[in-house]
Amino acid sequence: MRISSTQINQQGINAILDQQAQLSKTQLQLSTGRRVVTPADDPAASARALGLTQAVTGTQQYQTNIDVAQGRLGLEEGALSGAGSLLQDVRVLALQANNAALSNGDRVAIANEIRQRLDELLALANSRDAGGEYLFAGYKGQTQPFSQNSSGGFIYNGDQGQRYLQIGPTRQIAVSDSGTDVFQAIRNGNGTFTTKDNAVNTGSGIINTGTVVNPAAYQAHNFTITFTSATTFDVVNNTTATTILSAQPYTSGAAISFNGIQTAITGTPATGDSFAVTPSANQDVFTTLQNLANALAAPVTGGSTAKLNNAVNRSLVDIDQALGNILDVRARVGARLNAVESQKNINEDFALLTATSLSKLQDLDYSEAASRLNLQRTALEAAQLAFVKVQGLSLFNFL
Amino acid sequence: MADLLNIGVSGLLAFQRNLATTSHNISNVNTPGYSRQRVELGTRPPQFAGAGYLGNGVQVSSVQRVYDSFLTSQIRTSTSTNGQLQSLYSYASQVDNLLADSQSGLSPALQDFFGAGQGVADDPASMPARQVLLSNAAGLTDRFQYLNQRLGDLRNGINTQLQTTSTEINSLAQGIAKINKDIVDALGSGGGAAPNDLLDKRDILIAQLAERVAVTTIPQDDGAVNVFIGNGQSLVVGTASNTLVTAPNAFDPARLEVAFKTGTTTVIISDSLTGGTLGGALQFRNQVLDSAQNSLGQLATGLVNTFNAQHLEGQDLNGALGAAFFTAGAVQVLARSSNTGGATVTATITDANALTVSDYRLQRNADSGGNANYTLTRLSDNTVVATYTPVLPAALTGTVPAVDGLAVSWTGATAMAVGDSFLIQPTRNGARDIGVAISDPRKIAAAAPIRTSKSLNNLGSATISAGEVLNSADAALLNTVTITFNNPPTTFAVTGVAPNPSPVTYTSGTNIAYNGWQIQVTGTPQAGDTFTIQQNTNGVSDNRNALLLSGLQTQLTLAGSSASYQDLYGQVVAQVGSTTHQADISRQAQESLLGQVTAARDAVSGVNLDEEAADLVRFQQAYQAAAQVISSSNSLFDALLNAVRR
Repeated sequence: MRISSTQINQQGINAILDQQAQLSKTQLQLSTGRRVVTPADDPAASARALGLTQAVTGTQQYQTNIDVAQGRLGLEEGALSGAGSLLQDVRVLALQANNAALSNGDRVAIANEIRQRLDELLALANSRDAGGEYLFAGYKGQTQPFSQNSSGGFIYNGDQGQRYLQIGPTRQIAVSDSGTDVFQAIRNGNGTFTTKDNAVNTGSGIINTGTVVNPAAYQAHNFTITFTSATTFDVVNNTTATTILSAQPYTSGAAISFNGIQTAITGTPATGDSFAVTPSANQDVFTTLQNLANALAAPVTGGSTAKLNNAVNRSLVDIDQALGNILDVRARVGARLNAVESQKNINEDFALLTATSLSKLQDLDYSEAASRLNLQRTALEAAQLAFVKVQGLSLFNFL
Repeated sequence: MADLLNIGVSGLLAFQRNLATTSHNISNVNTPGYSRQRVELGTRPPQFAGAGYLGNGVQVSSVQRVYDSFLTSQIRTSTSTNGQLQSLYSYASQVDNLLADSQSGLSPALQDFFGAGQGVADDPASMPARQVLLSNAAGLTDRFQYLNQRLGDLRNGINTQLQTTSTEINSLAQGIAKINKDIVDALGSGGGAAPNDLLDKRDILIAQLAERVAVTTIPQDDGAVNVFIGNGQSLVVGTASNTLVTAPNAFDPARLEVAFKTGTTTVIISDSLTGGTLGGALQFRNQVLDSAQNSLGQLATGLVNTFNAQHLEGQDLNGALGAAFFTAGAVQVLARSSNTGGATVTATITDANALTVSDYRLQRNADSGGNANYTLTRLSDNTVVATYTPVLPAALTGTVPAVDGLAVSWTGATAMAVGDSFLIQPTRNGARDIGVAISDPRKIAAAAPIRTSKSLNNLGSATISAGEVLNSADAALLNTVTITFNNPPTTFAVTGVAPNPSPVTYTSGTNIAYNGWQIQVTGTPQAGDTFTIQQNTNGVSDNRNALLLSGLQTQLTLAGSSASYQDLYGQVVAQVGSTTHQADISRQAQESLLGQVTAARDAVSGVNLDEEAADLVRFQQAYQAAAQVISSSNSLFDALLNAVRR
């Protein structure tokens, strides 16, 4: 086949240009560290890489959210733990005050201390985070959740909202509890019913807080235990206005059972004394402490401490309920912290896996690229050498 | 002796021609398109001399160029295809680089924006977090606009290229027509001898033309060549040439098209032009640029619509219902310049999820059976997607049934005329027109407008969900509604709804929806238990809507619930990437094909210097020998003179 002189030249140059183009591509890959420099290099891989990159940055965002969640849950944990130990202290004080050996003055001192602790508890319930948001106000983060009204009652200004954070692609976790759930929605008495002495009782009868022995028989009705004499009593269902037990013999400390519940009265009630058994209602923990302080501050007159004992007994069981509730919430917060921690690990694993896939998809195999570079360099040198050698050949040299 | 002299001279003359032609070949070794020439020699007519015919020397019968017309036309075709692919590749790779660039692409901005959304969800009352969201939203819209701007620049670049290439084609056509004339003249005056160098020159001009647009050529008997482009538009006929001009698109004056001009008539022929840089530029505009810009617009429009819809269902830090977060422009509707009716067409997007990347054409067809006939055609698959056939006479206003998330209606002082047509581009300007509507960070609606609570006096264990907004436009949305369980608690009464419903049967966990919201009550209520749904006043720490807004990032809200924002963008990138990839591969294949054809042509027509050197030596020797013949003839004559001298 004939070959034209221009063709020989052009072929040599084309070969060199081709080698240079390939070399330059390898050089670009090596200098960027990426196998896929533009989508045209591998359209499918680059579209997938976009999705994976989003997954990686999304996971990083979830990790940031988790840090925020841990911070908030940690703050709540701290406040709850403070409230728990505070209530334990108050409980000890109440037991101390229930001792008949104390004087009125001693009890007033204890009452004052309890009022101090009440203020402390109120401050805990009104805790704020670093950004100035109230922890226990629900959605109303800039409204102080608990305050006292003019008549001394405690009111909640927040709402029942609960904030969630996104900690995984399909996982949200609660990072707050409303003041209602923590401090307000606490059943008083034993959780099912309360026992209370009548304020005008003259005897020394002390009623215990009772228990439910037959839940199936229990009805949420109001009952009154009325002493018809020092040795007999009636039980009246006020809701239906029927006397369900009549002229029962009274023995101090003996069980009194009706309506699936059981209670007992000790001491010597006077004729006409009465005790009320009513279904539990919600009572906030502040009112519980205030009731206790008020009961302790009231001077004992007439020698019998029955009224005081009844009041302190009631407060003790209320405090136990509040403690139980706070422990419940703490347990939930703890569970959430665990969940957050494990989600953090899941996210880390996922991010690592995704980053690995991403790297496989678009990153360069350096050893392969380096040997390719070497090969292409050799090829380019060969092409250049061949060009020079061939160009030197001409018949005119010999004429 | 006189014969000998004559024969010697004929050899001298012939070999001179040979030497001249060889020199011509050597001189033109680097001339593009040059075909080597060869002197065809033949014997002169012999002379009868009794005993037989005596040879009478040599003569030059012709000077031929070594030429293969098949290979030349193959080169032409290959050049056109190669030019088209090179042009397509160089444009497409610009878009490719633009979209995929980790700095300039959309992905990072999209991720930053939703990351900032999570930041607001983490701390909804924080002004810095809100400010970051607004800045990142501005960053995102800027990125959309920047990408669109760059695509717009390419669009303008195409317009310029169409203009300059048309001008180049015109001057090449004039050149070919002129050479045609020269060739016809030369053939006439040369008595049919081919003007080799002029033929080569014309081939070069045609090859240059083929680099710009695909051509077909038809040789004429008189030596001229007619050149046709497109669907047989005659660019060069004999010694006359026609011109290509650029003309505005019938719908979009900013979009230039290539038109063929004969005399005073101008016909747009863009659609039939292929090959060459012109074909490549047109192909890029039709296949890559339009769809990339539409896809980007689809994403922007989808983001605006879905994000705004969720934002409207929220409540901002001032306690007001959320307003639009992003702004969007109106759908672009272009009327054909030749429309005669007075109708103005308006298109609105009704469902961003159903939106496609296609453009649409609304036109009024010929009336039939006493009815007017309007059709809406989806241009991507050329399918009529909606028709409207009202009874004649045609009203001034009308509307076709909404389709593909698009509602189209028209009105005007006079009715739409039969034959009028409009181009509707629902997504073309989506990326250009996106903007951030709010500037006050307090107006980010991170909270939900309602909250639920259960009464502290409730004795049952039932709980109420946080609730969700279904329709933020409901006027009664923020009314306080209470749900009170009756005795027995198998039904409940509702107050705060107009009219209050009669007792509703309770089933744990089912949806209870009134006033544009929806809640669930779960568990066992007791008689008298109440639940309240009310306005979320002072709900500054509520992040429910912020969570929902951030959640949009991964939800499949677009393209018929098949793609998230990122998915859609990935599709654009993959589409442009594979077009570029394909163009690159075809370009390389075509390049090597062109190389092969060129080598084949050069093998026939190219000059080889070694061959010419050998010829030079050969003809030089022959010339010397012929000179020797003359010298011999001289010696013979001298011998005769000497013999008769006294």
